[in-house]
Amino acid sequence: MGLQNTIFNAFNKSIVFGLVGITVTDRYAGVCPIRGSSMSPTFNPSSSSSSSFTDDYVFLEKFCLDKYKFSHGDVVIFSDPTNYKGRCVKRIVAMEGDYVSNVNGATKVPEGHCWVEGDNSGFSSDSRTYGPIPLGLIEGRVTHVIWPPERIKKVDRRIPPQERLAF
Amino acid sequence: MRATSFVWNVCKSSFTCGLIGLTVSDRIASVVHVRGFSMSPTFNPPNNTSLGLFTDDHVLVEKHCLTDYKFSHGDVVVFCSPRDYREKQIKRITGMPGDWVSVPLSYDAVKIPEGHCWVEGDNPTNSLDSRSFGPIPLGLIRGRVTHVIWPPQRVGKIDQKLPRNGLSL
Repeated sequence: MGLQNTIFNAFNKSIVFGLVGITVTDRYAGVCPIRGSSMSPTFNPSSSSSSSFTDDYVFLEKFCLDKYKFSHGDVVIFSDPTNYKGRCVKRIVAMEGDYVSNVNGATKVPEGHCWVEGDNSGFSSDSRTYGPIPLGLIEGRVTHVIWPPERIKKVDRRIPPQERLAF
Repeated sequence: MRATSFVWNVCKSSFTCGLIGLTVSDRIASVVHVRGFSMSPTFNPPNNTSLGLFTDDHVLVEKHCLTDYKFSHGDVVVFCSPRDYREKQIKRITGMPGDWVSVPLSYDAVKIPEGHCWVEGDNPTNSLDSRSFGPIPLGLIRGRVTHVIWPPQRVGKIDQKLPRNGLSL
Protein backbone atom coordinates (compact mmCIF):
# COMPACT_ATOMS: atom_id res chain seq x y z
CA MET A 1 0.00 0.00 0.00
CA GLY A 2 2.82 2.37 0.88
CA LEU A 3 4.74 1.44 -2.27
CA GLN A 4 1.71 2.00 -4.49
CA ASN A 5 1.19 5.40 -2.91
CA THR A 6 4.81 6.36 -3.48
CA ILE A 7 4.68 5.31 -7.10
CA PHE A 8 1.46 7.19 -7.59
CA ASN A 9 2.92 10.31 -6.00
CA ALA A 10 6.07 10.10 -8.10
CA PHE A 11 3.93 9.69 -11.22
CA ASN A 12 1.82 12.69 -10.25
CA LYS A 13 4.85 14.86 -9.61
CA SER A 14 6.48 13.96 -12.92
CA ILE A 15 3.30 14.79 -14.80
CA VAL A 16 3.18 18.18 -13.12
CA PHE A 17 6.86 18.85 -13.86
CA GLY A 18 6.33 17.76 -17.45
CA LEU A 19 3.41 20.15 -17.82
CA VAL A 20 5.33 23.00 -16.23
CA GLY A 21 8.23 22.28 -18.60
CA ILE A 22 5.97 22.26 -21.67
CA THR A 23 4.18 25.44 -20.67
CA VAL A 24 7.41 27.27 -19.87
CA THR A 25 9.09 26.34 -23.16
CA ASP A 26 5.96 27.21 -25.13
CA ARG A 27 5.34 30.56 -23.57
CA TYR A 28 8.32 31.94 -21.70
CA ALA A 29 11.79 30.72 -22.64
CA GLY A 30 13.63 27.90 -24.32
CA VAL A 31 16.96 26.61 -25.56
CA CYS A 32 17.71 26.11 -29.22
CA PRO A 33 20.66 24.84 -31.27
CA ILE A 34 21.98 26.96 -34.11
CA ARG A 35 22.83 25.24 -37.38
CA GLY A 36 24.68 26.74 -40.28
CA SER A 37 26.90 29.76 -40.55
CA SER A 38 24.55 32.51 -41.69
CA MET A 39 25.06 34.30 -38.38
CA SER A 40 28.87 34.02 -38.18
CA PRO A 41 30.68 35.25 -36.20
CA THR A 42 27.88 35.88 -33.70
CA PHE A 43 26.98 32.16 -33.74
CA ASN A 44 29.01 29.19 -35.01
CA PRO A 45 32.10 31.24 -35.82
CA SER A 46 34.16 28.35 -37.13
CA SER A 47 32.60 27.66 -40.48
CA SER A 48 34.27 24.29 -40.88
CA SER A 49 32.58 22.64 -37.92
CA SER A 50 29.51 20.70 -38.86
CA SER A 51 29.11 18.38 -35.92
CA SER A 52 26.21 19.05 -33.62
CA PHE A 53 28.46 18.81 -30.59
CA THR A 54 30.21 22.07 -31.34
CA ASP A 55 27.21 24.07 -32.58
CA ASP A 56 26.17 26.98 -30.43
CA TYR A 57 23.13 26.62 -28.24
CA VAL A 58 21.25 29.77 -27.40
CA PHE A 59 18.74 30.87 -24.82
CA LEU A 60 15.63 32.40 -26.28
CA GLU A 61 12.96 34.30 -24.45
CA LYS A 62 9.33 34.48 -25.47
CA PHE A 63 8.16 37.32 -23.23
CA CYS A 64 8.64 39.62 -26.18
CA LEU A 65 5.78 37.82 -27.97
CA ASP A 66 3.13 39.40 -25.74
CA LYS A 67 3.72 42.94 -26.82
CA TYR A 68 5.85 42.27 -29.89
CA LYS A 69 8.20 45.04 -28.82
CA PHE A 70 10.98 44.22 -31.23
CA SER A 71 13.56 46.71 -32.35
CA HIS A 72 16.51 47.08 -34.68
CA GLY A 73 19.36 44.79 -33.83
CA ASP A 74 17.32 42.07 -32.07
CA VAL A 75 18.30 38.54 -33.01
CA VAL A 76 15.10 36.55 -33.44
CA ILE A 77 14.05 33.01 -34.26
CA PHE A 78 11.15 32.71 -36.68
CA SER A 79 9.32 30.20 -38.84
CA ASP A 80 10.98 29.97 -42.26
CA PRO A 81 8.58 31.55 -44.78
CA THR A 82 9.79 29.25 -47.54
CA ASN A 83 9.50 26.05 -45.52
CA TYR A 84 6.98 26.06 -42.71
CA LYS A 85 8.65 23.14 -40.96
CA GLY A 86 11.96 24.96 -40.54
CA ARG A 87 13.05 27.74 -38.27
CA CYS A 88 15.60 30.44 -38.94
CA VAL A 89 17.62 32.74 -36.76
CA LYS A 90 18.50 36.19 -38.08
CA ARG A 91 18.88 39.78 -36.94
CA ILE A 92 16.15 42.41 -37.40
CA VAL A 93 17.63 45.14 -39.57
CA ALA A 94 14.53 47.21 -40.28
CA MET A 95 11.04 47.51 -38.83
CA GLU A 96 7.71 48.48 -40.41
CA GLY A 97 7.80 51.82 -42.13
CA ASP A 98 11.57 51.83 -42.69
CA TYR A 99 13.05 51.88 -46.17
CA VAL A 100 15.70 49.29 -47.01
CA SER A 101 18.02 49.71 -49.96
CA ASN A 102 17.95 46.61 -52.12
CA VAL A 103 19.05 45.60 -55.62
CA ASN A 104 15.68 46.86 -56.91
CA GLY A 105 15.98 50.26 -55.29
CA ALA A 106 14.53 51.19 -51.90
CA THR A 107 11.81 48.88 -50.56
CA LYS A 108 9.48 50.03 -47.83
CA VAL A 109 8.86 47.48 -45.11
CA PRO A 110 5.03 47.10 -44.89
CA GLU A 111 3.17 47.42 -41.60
CA GLY A 112 3.16 44.30 -39.47
CA HIS A 113 6.42 43.11 -41.10
CA CYS A 114 10.15 43.39 -40.46
CA TRP A 115 13.33 42.95 -42.51
CA VAL A 116 15.79 40.33 -41.28
CA GLU A 117 19.35 39.65 -42.35
CA GLY A 118 22.08 37.27 -41.26
CA ASP A 119 25.31 38.72 -39.87
CA ASN A 120 27.29 36.75 -42.46
CA SER A 121 25.86 38.42 -45.56
CA GLY A 122 27.61 36.20 -48.07
CA PHE A 123 26.13 32.98 -46.71
CA SER A 124 22.73 34.03 -45.55
CA SER A 125 19.34 33.41 -47.15
CA ASP A 126 17.19 36.10 -45.58
CA SER A 127 14.92 39.02 -46.41
CA ARG A 128 17.13 39.90 -49.36
CA THR A 129 15.91 36.59 -50.83
CA TYR A 130 12.34 36.23 -49.58
CA GLY A 131 11.35 39.77 -48.68
CA PRO A 132 10.10 41.19 -45.38
CA ILE A 133 8.53 38.70 -42.96
CA PRO A 134 5.31 39.20 -40.96
CA LEU A 135 6.00 39.74 -37.26
CA GLY A 136 3.55 36.92 -36.53
CA LEU A 137 6.18 34.39 -37.66
CA ILE A 138 8.58 35.29 -34.87
CA GLU A 139 8.84 32.66 -32.16
CA GLY A 140 11.31 34.21 -29.74
CA ARG A 141 14.24 36.53 -29.19
CA VAL A 142 17.77 35.25 -28.57
CA THR A 143 19.37 36.73 -25.46
CA HIS A 144 22.44 34.60 -24.63
CA VAL A 145 24.72 31.95 -26.04
CA ILE A 146 24.84 29.16 -23.47
CA TRP A 147 27.04 26.51 -25.15
CA PRO A 148 29.93 25.86 -25.72
CA PRO A 149 31.12 27.07 -22.31
CA GLU A 150 33.94 29.24 -23.66
CA ARG A 151 31.45 31.23 -25.73
CA ILE A 152 28.87 31.96 -23.06
CA LYS A 153 27.91 35.61 -23.42
CA LYS A 154 25.02 37.98 -23.91
CA VAL A 155 24.03 38.58 -27.53
CA ASP A 156 24.51 42.24 -28.38
CA ARG A 157 21.89 44.31 -30.09
CA ARG A 158 24.26 45.55 -32.71
CA ILE A 159 22.71 48.35 -34.69
CA PRO A 160 23.06 47.53 -38.40
CA PRO A 161 25.49 49.55 -40.55
CA GLN A 162 23.89 52.68 -41.93
CA GLU A 163 24.33 51.99 -45.63
CA ARG A 164 21.54 49.39 -45.61
CA LEU A 165 18.89 51.78 -44.35
CA ALA A 166 17.88 54.49 -46.81
CA PHE A 167 16.03 57.34 -45.10
CA MET B 1 -3.49 23.22 10.68
CA ARG B 2 -6.25 21.38 8.85
CA ALA B 3 -7.40 24.60 7.22
CA THR B 4 -3.96 25.54 5.86
CA SER B 5 -3.33 22.09 4.44
CA PHE B 6 -6.79 22.19 2.84
CA VAL B 7 -6.08 25.59 1.31
CA TRP B 8 -2.69 24.32 0.15
CA ASN B 9 -4.31 21.31 -1.50
CA VAL B 10 -6.85 23.50 -3.24
CA CYS B 11 -4.05 25.75 -4.49
CA LYS B 12 -2.05 22.81 -5.80
CA SER B 13 -5.07 21.34 -7.57
CA SER B 14 -6.04 24.60 -9.20
CA PHE B 15 -2.44 25.19 -10.28
CA THR B 16 -2.33 21.75 -11.89
CA CYS B 17 -5.72 22.26 -13.54
CA GLY B 18 -4.59 25.64 -14.82
CA LEU B 19 -1.45 24.10 -16.30
CA ILE B 20 -3.39 21.30 -17.93
CA GLY B 21 -5.84 23.85 -19.34
CA LEU B 22 -3.03 26.00 -20.75
CA THR B 23 -1.24 23.04 -22.32
CA VAL B 24 -4.44 21.68 -23.85
CA SER B 25 -5.43 25.02 -25.29
CA ASP B 26 -1.94 25.64 -26.66
CA ARG B 27 -1.34 22.26 -28.22
CA ILE B 28 -4.58 20.29 -28.62
CA ALA B 29 -7.67 22.44 -29.09
CA SER B 30 -9.32 25.65 -27.99
CA VAL B 31 -12.53 27.60 -28.47
CA VAL B 32 -12.57 30.82 -30.46
CA HIS B 33 -15.26 33.48 -30.75
CA VAL B 34 -15.93 34.49 -34.36
CA ARG B 35 -16.55 38.18 -34.99
CA GLY B 36 -17.62 39.85 -38.21
CA PHE B 37 -19.28 38.58 -41.35
CA SER B 38 -16.42 37.74 -43.66
CA MET B 39 -17.23 34.04 -43.34
CA SER B 40 -21.02 34.23 -43.76
CA PRO B 41 -22.96 32.01 -44.06
CA THR B 42 -20.53 29.44 -42.66
CA PHE B 43 -20.17 31.51 -39.47
CA ASN B 44 -22.45 34.30 -38.23
CA PRO B 45 -25.10 33.97 -40.97
CA PRO B 46 -26.77 37.24 -41.91
CA ASN B 47 -30.17 36.62 -40.37
CA ASN B 48 -28.58 36.78 -36.92
CA THR B 49 -29.06 40.08 -35.17
CA SER B 50 -25.62 40.04 -33.71
CA LEU B 51 -25.71 40.89 -30.05
CA GLY B 52 -22.04 40.23 -29.61
CA LEU B 53 -20.53 37.54 -27.46
CA PHE B 54 -23.78 35.76 -26.72
CA THR B 55 -25.10 35.20 -30.25
CA ASP B 56 -21.91 35.08 -32.30
CA ASP B 57 -20.66 31.68 -33.35
CA HIS B 58 -18.02 30.01 -31.23
CA VAL B 59 -15.90 27.38 -32.93
CA LEU B 60 -13.60 24.58 -31.91
CA VAL B 61 -10.05 25.08 -33.19
CA GLU B 62 -7.76 22.07 -33.26
CA LYS B 63 -4.00 22.52 -33.04
CA HIS B 64 -2.87 19.02 -33.88
CA CYS B 65 -2.51 20.10 -37.51
CA LEU B 66 0.40 22.34 -36.44
CA THR B 67 2.71 19.38 -35.85
CA ASP B 68 2.91 18.40 -39.50
CA TYR B 69 1.18 21.32 -41.24
CA LYS B 70 -0.86 19.03 -43.48
CA PHE B 71 -3.36 21.62 -44.66
CA SER B 72 -5.44 21.32 -47.82
CA HIS B 73 -7.88 23.25 -49.96
CA GLY B 74 -11.07 24.09 -48.15
CA ASP B 75 -9.68 24.03 -44.60
CA VAL B 76 -10.90 26.89 -42.44
CA VAL B 77 -7.93 28.16 -40.43
CA VAL B 78 -7.12 30.69 -37.71
CA PHE B 79 -4.00 32.73 -38.46
CA CYS B 80 -2.16 35.85 -37.26
CA SER B 81 -2.97 38.76 -39.53
CA PRO B 82 0.07 39.72 -41.65
CA ARG B 83 -0.91 43.37 -41.31
CA ASP B 84 -1.30 43.46 -37.54
CA TYR B 85 0.43 40.72 -35.58
CA ARG B 86 -1.87 41.16 -32.56
CA GLU B 87 -5.01 40.21 -34.48
CA LYS B 88 -6.15 36.76 -35.43
CA GLN B 89 -8.31 36.10 -38.46
CA ILE B 90 -10.40 33.15 -39.64
CA LYS B 91 -10.57 32.37 -43.35
CA ARG B 92 -10.68 29.40 -45.70
CA ILE B 93 -7.62 28.14 -47.56
CA THR B 94 -8.35 28.33 -51.29
CA GLY B 95 -4.83 27.88 -52.67
CA MET B 96 -1.79 25.85 -51.64
CA PRO B 97 1.90 26.32 -52.64
CA GLY B 98 2.37 25.97 -56.38
CA ASP B 99 -1.21 26.87 -57.32
CA TRP B 100 -2.01 29.78 -59.60
CA VAL B 101 -4.65 32.23 -58.41
CA SER B 102 -6.25 34.84 -60.62
CA VAL B 103 -6.17 38.29 -59.03
CA PRO B 104 -9.56 40.04 -59.25
CA LEU B 105 -9.88 43.25 -61.24
CA SER B 106 -6.72 42.59 -63.23
CA TYR B 107 -5.44 40.16 -65.81
CA ASP B 108 -2.62 38.90 -63.60
CA ALA B 109 -2.29 35.43 -62.19
CA VAL B 110 -0.23 34.99 -59.04
CA LYS B 111 1.68 31.79 -58.33
CA ILE B 112 1.56 30.93 -54.65
CA PRO B 113 5.18 30.64 -53.45
CA GLU B 114 6.61 27.67 -51.55
CA GLY B 115 5.56 27.64 -47.90
CA HIS B 116 2.60 30.04 -48.43
CA CYS B 117 -1.14 29.69 -48.97
CA TRP B 118 -4.02 31.79 -50.30
CA VAL B 119 -6.89 32.48 -47.91
CA GLU B 120 -10.32 33.90 -48.70
CA GLY B 121 -13.48 34.53 -46.72
CA ASP B 122 -16.66 32.73 -47.78
CA ASN B 123 -18.38 36.13 -48.08
CA PRO B 124 -16.20 37.76 -50.73
CA THR B 125 -17.86 41.18 -50.62
CA ASN B 126 -17.15 41.68 -46.93
CA SER B 127 -13.80 40.03 -46.46
CA LEU B 128 -10.25 41.35 -46.02
CA ASP B 129 -8.11 38.42 -47.15
CA SER B 130 -5.39 37.33 -49.57
CA ARG B 131 -6.97 39.40 -52.33
CA SER B 132 -5.76 42.41 -50.31
CA PHE B 133 -2.62 41.23 -48.53
CA GLY B 134 -1.42 38.45 -50.81
CA PRO B 135 -0.48 34.87 -49.91
CA ILE B 136 0.40 34.26 -46.26
CA PRO B 137 3.23 32.06 -44.95
CA LEU B 138 1.93 28.78 -43.52
CA GLY B 139 3.89 29.59 -40.35
CA LEU B 140 1.28 32.21 -39.43
CA ILE B 141 -1.45 29.61 -39.05
CA ARG B 142 -2.45 28.94 -35.45
CA GLY B 143 -5.09 26.22 -35.80
CA ARG B 144 -7.80 24.62 -37.94
CA VAL B 145 -11.51 25.06 -37.30
CA THR B 146 -13.38 21.75 -37.10
CA HIS B 147 -16.80 22.38 -35.52
CA VAL B 148 -19.19 25.14 -34.57
CA ILE B 149 -20.07 24.64 -30.92
CA TRP B 150 -22.32 27.63 -30.13
CA PRO B 151 -25.17 28.60 -30.53
CA PRO B 152 -26.74 25.18 -29.90
CA GLN B 153 -28.95 25.25 -32.99
CA ARG B 154 -25.90 25.69 -35.23
CA VAL B 155 -23.71 22.98 -33.72
CA GLY B 156 -22.09 20.98 -36.53
CA LYS B 157 -18.95 19.97 -38.38
CA ILE B 158 -17.41 22.42 -40.82
CA ASP B 159 -17.38 21.14 -44.40
CA GLN B 160 -14.31 21.26 -46.53
CA LYS B 161 -15.94 23.30 -49.24
CA LEU B 162 -13.83 23.48 -52.36
CA PRO B 163 -13.38 26.94 -53.85
CA ARG B 164 -15.85 27.90 -56.57
CA ASN B 165 -13.80 30.29 -58.65
CA GLY B 166 -10.60 32.26 -58.70
CA LEU B 167 -8.42 29.17 -59.09
CA SER B 168 -6.98 28.99 -62.59
CA LEU B 169 -4.79 25.94 -63.00
